[in-house]
Amino acid sequence: MKKNIATISPGFEDIMPEEYQDLVNDGPYGRGLGIKNLGTFKELIEEHPLCAGCGLALAIRLTAASLPAPEDTIIVGTTGCNSILMPQLAIHNIHSLFGNQSSLAAGLKRALKLRYPDKNKDVVVMAGDGGIADIGLSPTLHTWLRRENLTTIMLDNESYSNTGGQESGMSCEGAVLNMAPTGKKFPKIPMPEIAKDSGCAYVATVSVANARRLGRMVKRAILVAREIGPTYLQIFVPCPTNYKFSTSETLKRAKEREKIMEYISSEAEKLIKEANI
Amino acid sequence: MLISVKNEKCTGCRLCILACPEPNVICFNPKKKIVNIDPDGCKVCRLCIETCPEEAIESTDVAI
Repeated sequence: MKKNIATISPGFEDIMPEEYQDLVNDGPYGRGLGIKNLGTFKELIEEHPLCAGCGLALAIRLTAASLPAPEDTIIVGTTGCNSILMPQLAIHNIHSLFGNQSSLAAGLKRALKLRYPDKNKDVVVMAGDGGIADIGLSPTLHTWLRRENLTTIMLDNESYSNTGGQESGMSCEGAVLNMAPTGKKFPKIPMPEIAKDSGCAYVATVSVANARRLGRMVKRAILVAREIGPTYLQIFVPCPTNYKFSTSETLKRAKEREKIMEYISSEAEKLIKEANI
Repeated sequence: MLISVKNEKCTGCRLCILACPEPNVICFNPKKKIVNIDPDGCKVCRLCIETCPEEAIESTDVAI
């Protein structure tokens, strides 16, 4: 989407909603804004129905602000807490069948490469831990093994939060949730290691408490996916509703359990150095 | 409950903007170098209060 497509047709200025006018006049399209500019421009999310203090909502907000070219980005999501926010995001987004997001994104990216050979169209898979590590693990792995040019961003809240709190593969061992009262019996799936071994050129983990680093990692992941191959970013987003802590503790918990890891292949390192991000 | 900024204490560091899960709620005023909170979009999660190093954000009980 170029900004001229979003521009309001003459004569319709008065009847378009105020929020839409703000987005056209003060949105981030084509302006190269980032996390450091948050609070000074109209953000791409209008509002959302997620819970108060939701780490996942903050992660999507920060990710949307860090996209290098929001007008040329397509986000492919799947069922989960994130999918109830996506319809209110002013970026092209597709809701796929549960677990099917990576397959859909791979096809989309190939089609876009053919249709727009001289343009960078970024396809970003953004889904929860259930969508990527449990139900969609097979398509996700195969896109990495096939070296598709996709960025996969996992919003890891360590549970199926949208359906009442079942344990997911990414929950920690012993985690007790509403629908997992006896505690989880096996450890967290080591997704970053799997991604690295499956051929991702850039793998990083961060928490939502580290906004500036998160922004930099999103930019790097998308740049490497454009030029080299698959990339994976795992963002830890604590869930106050299902892990039953105060909404004001989300960032404290994120900081306490934050594991910052960045694997950059030699080819990707060269590219990142050239781009200076 | 209403979250508000004490203008005299705010230094404009903008850490609260990076902590708020709600979009377009905390805005930065570049002229005055302080932040403003839009009470309509605020869900009162209090993350901004926890994050502010200057204790410039406070919550007040409001009778409905």
